[in-house]
Amino acid sequence: MPDSGFPWPIETTRLDNGLRVVVSEDRTAPAVAVNLWYDIGSRHEPEGQTGFAHLFEHLMFEGSTNVAKTEHMKLVQGCGGSLNATTNPDRTNYFETVPAEHLELTLWLEADRMGGLVPALTQETLDNQRDVVKNERRQRYENVPYGDAWLRLLPLLYPPGHPYHHATIGSMADLNAADLPAFQAFHAAYYAPNNAVLTVVGDTSADEVFALAEKYFGAIPPRAEIPAAPDGQHVSGAGVATTETVVTEVPAPRVYVAHRTHPFGTAGYDVTSVLATVLGSGRGSRLYQRLVDGERIAQPDLVGAYGVDLAYAPAPLIVTATARPGVAAKRLAAGLGEVVDELATVPVTAAELDRAKALLSTAWWRQMSTVEGRADTLGRYATQFGDPRRAAERLPAWLAVTADQIAAVAAEVLAPADRVTLTYLPEENS
Amino acid sequence: MTLISTRPAPGAARPYRFPQVVRRGVAGGQLVAAHLPGQSLAVALLLLDAGAGREPQGREGLGAVLAKALEEGTAQRDATAYALAIEALGTELVAGLDWDSFQVSVQVPVDRLPAAVELLAEAVRTPRLEPDDVRRVRDDEATAQRMDWANPGPRADAALRADLFGAENRWGRPLYGDPETVAALEVEDVRIFHSEWFLRPGTLIVVGDLERLDLDALAATAFAGAGGGAADRGGPVEVTPRQGRKIILVDRPGSVQSTLRLGHPSPHRAHPDHVPMRLAGTVLGGAFTSRLNHLIREVRGYTYGIRGDFVSSRRFGRFAVSSGVQTAVTAPALVEAVGEITRTQQTGVTEAELAVARSWLAGQLSVELQTPRAIATALTTLVVHDLPDDYHARLRAALLAAEVDEVSAAAAAHLHPEELTLVVEGDAALIRAELAATDLGEVITSTR
Repeated sequence: MPDSGFPWPIETTRLDNGLRVVVSEDRTAPAVAVNLWYDIGSRHEPEGQTGFAHLFEHLMFEGSTNVAKTEHMKLVQGCGGSLNATTNPDRTNYFETVPAEHLELTLWLEADRMGGLVPALTQETLDNQRDVVKNERRQRYENVPYGDAWLRLLPLLYPPGHPYHHATIGSMADLNAADLPAFQAFHAAYYAPNNAVLTVVGDTSADEVFALAEKYFGAIPPRAEIPAAPDGQHVSGAGVATTETVVTEVPAPRVYVAHRTHPFGTAGYDVTSVLATVLGSGRGSRLYQRLVDGERIAQPDLVGAYGVDLAYAPAPLIVTATARPGVAAKRLAAGLGEVVDELATVPVTAAELDRAKALLSTAWWRQMSTVEGRADTLGRYATQFGDPRRAAERLPAWLAVTADQIAAVAAEVLAPADRVTLTYLPEENS
Repeated sequence: MTLISTRPAPGAARPYRFPQVVRRGVAGGQLVAAHLPGQSLAVALLLLDAGAGREPQGREGLGAVLAKALEEGTAQRDATAYALAIEALGTELVAGLDWDSFQVSVQVPVDRLPAAVELLAEAVRTPRLEPDDVRRVRDDEATAQRMDWANPGPRADAALRADLFGAENRWGRPLYGDPETVAALEVEDVRIFHSEWFLRPGTLIVVGDLERLDLDALAATAFAGAGGGAADRGGPVEVTPRQGRKIILVDRPGSVQSTLRLGHPSPHRAHPDHVPMRLAGTVLGGAFTSRLNHLIREVRGYTYGIRGDFVSSRRFGRFAVSSGVQTAVTAPALVEAVGEITRTQQTGVTEAELAVARSWLAGQLSVELQTPRAIATALTTLVVHDLPDDYHARLRAALLAAEVDEVSAAAAAHLHPEELTLVVEGDAALIRAELAATDLGEVITSTR
């Protein structure tokens, strides 16, 4: 068993304005990854402003005080870099991987949009990116079969007022209502150095990065009070089984079973991660063995179970299967429920446990095999747990999980009385 | 607040070093390896000359079915025992194909690679292929394809490919076949395809910390029991020149977006214009700041994204643009996309645009080649296209040296805006009249 899931150096500092800086030197490839985690996600959005954190992420690419509209993308791609950003319920991250000689350019770009976005923000840009995001919603959620499953599961899992109740993409109505002053205020509230972690991994040194961080970010003022998200640790309404059935244009019946488990980063969630792998990863998983190979009621490529790594409330475990032709949704749902129930009653064998741990180990090292994968991981642990070094604990924690713990967590959080079941049925005439 | 207004200049450029390539013949097959010192994961990939181009006419999807059937039990163990054995090593067998090759690979912590290669070889060389299992896998694959074809995209892709290359040719049909061709496959088709193409040694690609690996032993495992020589791979195919532009409408009632697939044939992979064509494609539709994405997404807000590129295999190639646009703006989006293709063909690229494309593609070679998986992919390129060990360094130099004149000339020669096939998959009742009014070309309704 490895002592550490992160055998690279980690150095940290904090600028006077509160910006936390994390550096992990690795000279193997001539590239550096720059990553910023802002502690702002859709969980912070009040009613009527759903989708704001994500739409804001788009605006961050549209120019700032010293960077013209479209220049951000052009400069990063123009130096050979890759870049993107993502928003989820917990946070927003921005990242670039560039040939190492362009590290300073990347930090300059990130500092300029942290400190100087508002003066460059125009109504035209907002209108354009609002249209882009609405098209993103159509493309990813509305125009594909089962595309809205996540949008439907969240409100079933978390009651109104809970920070995870609404999906990050937001509602069309709220996106339409978004006005410019609201976004200016959004930036002022959350895009502050003391609400962010800057991580740099790769062909550089801590001394170089600390000096550059001071040079580019040092003058950006902190914000005294960052508005907190509502507390989500307690989920009211739990303990009641919920079902929803959607009849729509889909090619086959599909069932999702979802449960609230434990927050990411807790011992309970480590057990959940191993449990999900036993249950739903690979051909040796219980779902595959039982529903695909055994009863032959589920389609092989479409069974799975995974935890969604959210840290500020009991995180969802999603289990899904799609019916083989001629199999009724009811039978599939019953089979799926049975396999989930058995996690509490049929002990996980040593072979099942070893298989799950081996798969998780490979997945961990695959994430660690790139500088960008390492940077995002360190940024997460610094943001959510206050110390990037805690990233090293995850793999050993998975590897220490026992069969008894899996049974105990299954009994605790996977009870049928606490289950959310979402079923898609094809329209009769489709 | 004082933000620094001056954009910093780049630091000293790091040298570009592709890992050293090892090539040798072992046990009747070819071994190609690259050394990544200190890497905790290693990849082994068996490359077989059994791409979709090898599938007989009317048997599209054969490779895709065989890829799944390999794991339905081997001479040594049944499907469940096989799954448990390979997953206990922390890996899954990844099997897939493109037009030129069939690839089977494993990725594991380096000390587990010998055991993983044994299991890989066992599945490739000695699958049971029991008739009942093959039929079930075939039916499952047909179902999986029906699921996939319910999404926007596959029908439009198939309509474009058929119009570009002719549905009477294998390369005019979908890479993985379609639900009907898969459903029609017979057990014998699969067994014959296996015996014909999966018992030849092929090439074993290994990437990882080679100081901890015995390459000859890995190759001997991969090639054990294999025999037969290489088969002729055929030359570039003749494509009938296009005549005029047309719109093919694929109906998708109720669709809130229209899926666009615009394209025409282009040269095969070994064409001497490969580098300037790629750069022209990048300026037009490859980078985020490309002409198409800038206009259609960033200025107009019609889409979440639009991209275009030249893609080529050993025997043929195609230029294509793909996007999903809001239904109400289907016609203007199409007109403006064709306009940008036309402008690029007629007036070429600018130095400012080319500078971005050139250094982006060159820089990506540095940035992307970090992982064993990425290096293995780079090595497969060398093998499939008969390229030298220093190909990636040469490619990088060629990208950086490309000038406006040659890239503009490639755009002029290889873009054919007047001969585009414009496939639109969307709600025909809402968009047909508008499409007809664009004068872009005759509107034909697809029967797919």
